Amino acid sequence: MNNPGFLQLVGFGQQGWGAALLLGAVVTMALAVSGFAIGASLGSLAAWAKIAGGRISHAAADIYTTILRGVPDLLVIYLFYFGGSRGISAIGHLLGAEGFIGFPGFLAGALAIGMVSGAQQAEVFRGAYSAVSRGEIEAAIAVGTDRWTRFRRIVAPLVIRYALPGLGNVWQVLLKESALISVTGVVELLRQSQIAAGSTRQPFTFYFAAAVLYLVITTLSSLSFFKAESRFSRGMRRS
Amino acid sequence: MDFRFFADTLLRLSGGIPLTLLLALISCAIGAVLALCLAAMRLSKIGPLAFLAHAYVFVYRGTPLLVQIFLVYYGFGQFPLVRHSFLWPILREPFWCAIIALSMNTGAYASEIIRGGILSVPHGQVEAARACGMSRLTQFRRIVMPLAIRQALPAYGTEIILMVKATSLASVITLMEITGIAAEIISETYRVIEVFVIAGALYLAINFILTRIVQIVERWLTPYKRGRSVLPPAASVDAGEIA
Amino acid sequence: MSEAVISVRDLHKNFGSVEVLKGIFLDAHEGEVVSILGASGSGKSTMLRCINMLETPSAGEIRVSGEVIALRRGRDGSMRPADHRQVERIRSRVAMVFQNFNLWSHRTVLENVIEAPVYVQKRKRAECVEEALELLAKVGIAEKRDQYPAHLSGGQQQRAAIARALAMHPDVMLFDEPTSALDPELVGEVLRVMQGLAAEGRTMLVVTHEMGFARNVSDRVVFLHRGVIDMQGKPEDVFGAAGSQRFRKFISG
Repeated sequence: MNNPGFLQLVGFGQQGWGAALLLGAVVTMALAVSGFAIGASLGSLAAWAKIAGGRISHAAADIYTTILRGVPDLLVIYLFYFGGSRGISAIGHLLGAEGFIGFPGFLAGALAIGMVSGAQQAEVFRGAYSAVSRGEIEAAIAVGTDRWTRFRRIVAPLVIRYALPGLGNVWQVLLKESALISVTGVVELLRQSQIAAGSTRQPFTFYFAAAVLYLVITTLSSLSFFKAESRFSRGMRRS
Repeated sequence: MDFRFFADTLLRLSGGIPLTLLLALISCAIGAVLALCLAAMRLSKIGPLAFLAHAYVFVYRGTPLLVQIFLVYYGFGQFPLVRHSFLWPILREPFWCAIIALSMNTGAYASEIIRGGILSVPHGQVEAARACGMSRLTQFRRIVMPLAIRQALPAYGTEIILMVKATSLASVITLMEITGIAAEIISETYRVIEVFVIAGALYLAINFILTRIVQIVERWLTPYKRGRSVLPPAASVDAGEIA
Repeated sequence: MSEAVISVRDLHKNFGSVEVLKGIFLDAHEGEVVSILGASGSGKSTMLRCINMLETPSAGEIRVSGEVIALRRGRDGSMRPADHRQVERIRSRVAMVFQNFNLWSHRTVLENVIEAPVYVQKRKRAECVEEALELLAKVGIAEKRDQYPAHLSGGQQQRAAIARALAMHPDVMLFDEPTSALDPELVGEVLRVMQGLAAEGRTMLVVTHEMGFARNVSDRVVFLHRGVIDMQGKPEDVFGAAGSQRFRKFISG
């Protein structure tokens, strides 16, 4: 058997795994996007609870963020994957099915990294909110806008502006964390490169290729965030 | 409430604490040394060195830790050169591979923290050191580094916590630290929630203790931040340079 | 006429394309107190900072206690000190008091004062501590010796900075707008200390906006305008009838 070179292995030819790797990268991004969306919802809720919530919601949000920031992500993934599987299997048994029913890895993974991301995003939103100067909010109150409009047109845009750098960081973390979801069998980029590595006995080649792909994705992401930041910061003094 | 199970699991999981701590602390120590070198390279005026350090940090921060671990543990074994070298006994051990990958990873992040600390030293205090005739080395040793460390402590404390969490990835390459044992118990008993709660509590406890230690060190090193200040500290006057 | 402690000849300094100093000629003799006045942007702080090489002149000669500071042209065309050891040696004999005090925040007041004597001049620690305590008493903050700069008022911090400068046994003291960052009620305590130093016969170059000090305490007043010395002389001359029109405009405006 001839020894295919690096480019052939990762390329798109007959022996090439390039297409598969790219597909894996797409799954990676899908995981990250899902995690980001879940995290944004949970995070803004938790941030609101910490800013304007009563004692109970504030405490609940605190517990949420403390736990999710102190426990390893891998454990959370196991929780959702095995826990979810157990839950579904239990339901299945009730309905008469037999054996083990696996909770979809993608869903478990997205929920897991989404929950962890929510804790981080809560801090980002909280910090961004406190960075919005009281004066700008008071001006909106003084002019007589109602609470919802004020939030929609003044507070939210300003909070997003300040939150962008932190959110860029959160996104990068999500991209990298998605690699952990490979333990549930989801064929994202790392799992795909694992499969390829196993099949061709060339682990270095494929993990290296995966690393390069991750680097490309994270770099493009940070460039986009950087651009978005400058767009959103038009007219603002650089701190 | 199956107390028996709880107690058993707690005992079993606690067996993983030494490995978790070992991985975390050794990697942090090696990583700190690496970070100092990288920060020095990055801040030096020598172009190629600065570029190398920047590239290193860029790559390590842009790729997942798990990929970095796989590259060391599985990847290096691909090359006959490595397999037949004197390094092989080390490189085929999951423990040392984990240490290598974790150290190199934290080295990158910590170097940014140190660099940030050095850059945030108030410029006026460095000038005062120059003005009394201190050599660059003395300035660095007596003024810049002590102040940089104090500035960087909070962020470095966070990095240590992240490192403890990162050790859980070592379970993927067969190491039996807390998460590894937890995965084992889960696959045996399927009692996910209980195991998660106990394992999570162990990590939280470790992180709490480490955070406390960092806070104590912080307080010990920065007595000038406690106690009543008559006026805003000099550092803030520095920041608002008046022409 | 005693030998000049500081001698500045044809000093030029550019920041990029902006020429801030356009040919300064200045002497300071032993025991003289020289006040340097001028509008912002006139280059007075820059000139002071060239004397201890915190800024490197673009052209010209600086002589401290008879020694010329050697310069050379760097690879990028700008001027650099030729001998770092010489610069460090000279700096340890020229003490500077900064507008923003610049005390080291991680050291107590006492530690601030002994830092240079012990670690730069390599003197014995015990003797430095003893002298430091005397100096702190002299400037009036002996009781603050174990406190950190953050816990002192601005005036106290500046007095600590003066004690730190004195501890180096300097040949000449440079003051860069020492009272400009202070609240008005704290200015007096610092000026009093400086007056005391002047009365002792110290050689001092003081960049300041305090006209009272310039008028009553200095031996010579130098007025900088747009990078050159517009006028210099005894206070009564410069402030009096012989003073230039520009100077009169400056102090009235």
